[in-house]
Amino acid sequence: MTEDLGNEQAVVRLTDVRKEYGESVALSGVSLEIHAGEAVAVMGPSGSGKSTLLSMVAGLDRPTSGAVVVHGDDLGSLNEKGLALFRRRRIGMIFQFFNLLDDLSALDNVALAAQLTGTSAPHARKRALELFEELGIGDRRNTYPAQLSGGERQRVAVARALMNRPAILLADEPTGALDTRAGEQVMDLLLDLNQIGQTLLLVTHDQQLATRCASRVIDFVDGQIAGERSLERTA
Amino acid sequence: MSAVWPVSRAAVRRRRVQTVVIGVVVLLSTTMIVVALGLLAASSGPFDQAYARQSGAHLVASYDPSKVSDSQLTTSASAAKAYAGPFAMATLDLGSNGKFGEPQSLVTVGRADPGGPVDRLNVWKGRWAAKTGEIVLNRNPTASDGFGAPTLGSTMNAAGQTLTIVGFAYSVSQSADAWVVPAQMTSFKPTATQMLYRFAQAATNEQVSAGQAAVTSGLPSGALVGTQSYLGLRALATGEPNTFVPFLMVFGWLGLAVAVLIVANVVSGAVVSGFKHIGVLKSLGFTPTQVMAVYLTMISIPAIIGCAGGTVLGNVLAESLLTRAFENYGADGVTVPIWVDVAVVLGVPVLVALSALLPSLRARSLSAAEAISAGSAPRAGRGLRVQRWLSGTRLPRSVSLGLGLPFARPARTALTLAAVVLGVTSVTLAVGLGKSLMTYQTAASRVDAVDVSLFARPTDGGPAPNDPQAPPAPKLSDAADEALIRSTPGAVSVTASANLPMRLAGTSTDLQVSFYRGDFEQLGYRILHGRWFDGPGQVVVSERFLRQRGLAVGDTITLQSEGKSVRAQIVGKAMYNSGDEVLSNWQTLALVAPSLRASLYEINVKPGTNLDAFVAAVQTGDSGLMRADGQDAGTFVAIVLATVVLLTLMLGTVAALGVFNTVILNTRERRRDLGMLKSIGMTPSQVTIMVVTSMAALGAVGGVLGIPLGIVAHRLVVPAMANGAQVEIPAFMLHVYPWSLLALLILAGILIAAAGAYFPARSAAHTTIAKVLHNE
Repeated sequence: MTEDLGNEQAVVRLTDVRKEYGESVALSGVSLEIHAGEAVAVMGPSGSGKSTLLSMVAGLDRPTSGAVVVHGDDLGSLNEKGLALFRRRRIGMIFQFFNLLDDLSALDNVALAAQLTGTSAPHARKRALELFEELGIGDRRNTYPAQLSGGERQRVAVARALMNRPAILLADEPTGALDTRAGEQVMDLLLDLNQIGQTLLLVTHDQQLATRCASRVIDFVDGQIAGERSLERTA
Repeated sequence: MSAVWPVSRAAVRRRRVQTVVIGVVVLLSTTMIVVALGLLAASSGPFDQAYARQSGAHLVASYDPSKVSDSQLTTSASAAKAYAGPFAMATLDLGSNGKFGEPQSLVTVGRADPGGPVDRLNVWKGRWAAKTGEIVLNRNPTASDGFGAPTLGSTMNAAGQTLTIVGFAYSVSQSADAWVVPAQMTSFKPTATQMLYRFAQAATNEQVSAGQAAVTSGLPSGALVGTQSYLGLRALATGEPNTFVPFLMVFGWLGLAVAVLIVANVVSGAVVSGFKHIGVLKSLGFTPTQVMAVYLTMISIPAIIGCAGGTVLGNVLAESLLTRAFENYGADGVTVPIWVDVAVVLGVPVLVALSALLPSLRARSLSAAEAISAGSAPRAGRGLRVQRWLSGTRLPRSVSLGLGLPFARPARTALTLAAVVLGVTSVTLAVGLGKSLMTYQTAASRVDAVDVSLFARPTDGGPAPNDPQAPPAPKLSDAADEALIRSTPGAVSVTASANLPMRLAGTSTDLQVSFYRGDFEQLGYRILHGRWFDGPGQVVVSERFLRQRGLAVGDTITLQSEGKSVRAQIVGKAMYNSGDEVLSNWQTLALVAPSLRASLYEINVKPGTNLDAFVAAVQTGDSGLMRADGQDAGTFVAIVLATVVLLTLMLGTVAALGVFNTVILNTRERRRDLGMLKSIGMTPSQVTIMVVTSMAALGAVGGVLGIPLGIVAHRLVVPAMANGAQVEIPAFMLHVYPWSLLALLILAGILIAAAGAYFPARSAAHTTIAKVLHNE
């Protein structure tokens, strides 16, 4: 689903990244690489810096020092508009609480991402419909977020994240707000996506999610990488 | 309730921007209301108080002593509630001691003392005349002395006698210019007998006329030669403040309406965005009434501060306007009545609190569970069909999303729209008011009606020939100068005129009579009623002249100067401002001052004529003719226009603040949505465009709705102002809204909305979104 960079090429490269919020240090000396097609889970206790790491990779926030390069783009060299264009083309994000627009139908929520790149409304809707079918929610396309179950909302969010064929899919506690069954459906979906080549970076507390979806787990403690392990997927 | 205060104070601190917006809006609105109510309440106060204090005359009448005796006047005066007189009266010629030889005269009355039942004079400096050779002058205590004004103890020559000024008194009835002891009057050869009346009923012109009929019934025909009603003086005194009142009232109420809308918007927004806060308060044990009190107190703090500040500011502005308006009427220290301050200080916060009551009641009635769970579940969207339709259009997505935003919160949109509508109404009214006033003033003061004016110094009197600052005297005769100008190449029309100070018989107010000959119909005066003069004994006057004296076109008046009288019929009403200026013709001048030469030649020339060359050519023939300044717009209209512009800016700002507040509420509420949009690649400028578009659309609708309201307000306010100012506005001056202007006014709505939305939109566009999107 991504542009082919070759499996050996790093889609994400962080070099000695540090992030401070006032006197508090969220990340300290973080260096890591994520290669195309990899599924990496970042785990750690609350306040360990997992979500800050995700924000750095997504270009939602800037490091205090160090470099973040994603798909060849050095994010430190991009201005606000450049970062927006970068997110538009390279990044897909899903969140614990879905972050769908309540006023738009499920289909329009997904089509919106493509429309921002200049795709016309009919083309965007057509592409969104394909994704809805692929994700098994085609019959829910004209409903609104308030009428969807948690699992359905997260699938819509995944569809939106995939709309522009991102270089990397970032997921922040994607099953955190879901019941067990819905959580498992989302895990399956992420696993399927990775298996067809989608690079994945997960931030989670959920050991089960990590072991099912990720091939590598990075443990964070106090803003630093405390360890790294490769996993045999259980799925 | 002790827990309410710290929570309210914290709420105020948390909403600093909205607190400031409420404070500023209430301050501006209160200022306008105080000024408007203050002017309305005080506009006739100083005059009425002074009149009551002096037991002023409702009617000042002068009689011909050759036709009626003093005993007849005394007998007939018993029909009045009170009277003073008969007093002998004479107009004393002071000779040519005025500027450029203009003669001055004093209406002088013989009175033994300044007291009495009617027109009790205020001798504010010196003393009353005790013997012959002494004179007391009528002067307003607040009037500046001015260079060359007579001083206490100095002497003056009148009717061949030397009189010592022993005092200054003030008559609010304007019954005379000066007073002497009755014994002195015989030497002045009195020409009239003065009677001063107070009637039981004198509130209207009809009642004063009825009183006049009662006190003159049974007197010989032609005995009454002139009257002056106090209603004319009253109208003169209240004219200026009454001009301000209509538009200040409209602007004040508009401002307050916008303030109410903004407050309702702020509180309902605070309730909606504070659901969790309300839930927490209730779970802590706050009663529903305490929760409501928190929200009411949160709004009342800035409202009370704004109201207090606005009241002080309003008092300062109103006093400044009132002092200016009444400076000629002895009303020193005119202030806004205390009831206005009390009513505003109590009323405005109550009005603001009432506007906050409905959303506060909503906060009161929310169940704790309902409130505390708010935000964790998505709410059902609104305006969904519109959003869906917009998402399919070819518009840029940031624009189509922005256009859909107002439909998501219809109640808030309605309140904001109402604020914009009122803003556009104000701008429409102000623009129309400005155009009407400018059109009126240009027509009334004849700006640019004449191409060039040449001044000729009067030959009789004036500065001494050796005065180095004196203008040169004309070398040719009046007729020769006119002929010279007419024969100068380029001249199209020439009007010669002379001015003569005169008195309207029975009154002590000075009139300036301008006598014209030649092409006076080219002078730019617009005849509103009747016609131009075409024979001797005819005059044209202004609406204000007629109103101040209770006269109408067709009436006959008696004008006096230098011991001569001329009866003149009012044949027309022209459009100009002055109530003391009368227009007449050369044939009428011949009846009172046949030797007077023209002092001004007003000339229109062929298009393209070089005016400097034209003047130089005339001066080659007579170097004593000096170029004079043309007419310019009056300062009063400039003040009104400045006030209108100021109020428009204030109301435009207030309306923009309403939008500003709404955008802050919207962007705070949609923080998560904006973060999400940025996370999928919306640029900051696209976010700004989306938010500004949402309000600009409201601005356009506000423009369409506000313009008709503004036009209706204009149609009501302008005639009311004209009535207050005692002028007549022709119907065409109300038609000041061409289509091109209406299109621009719609832009005003968009501009107000876009200006209010831009800064919070930019701020929202640059918010760091990482935290917003993380777990809420």
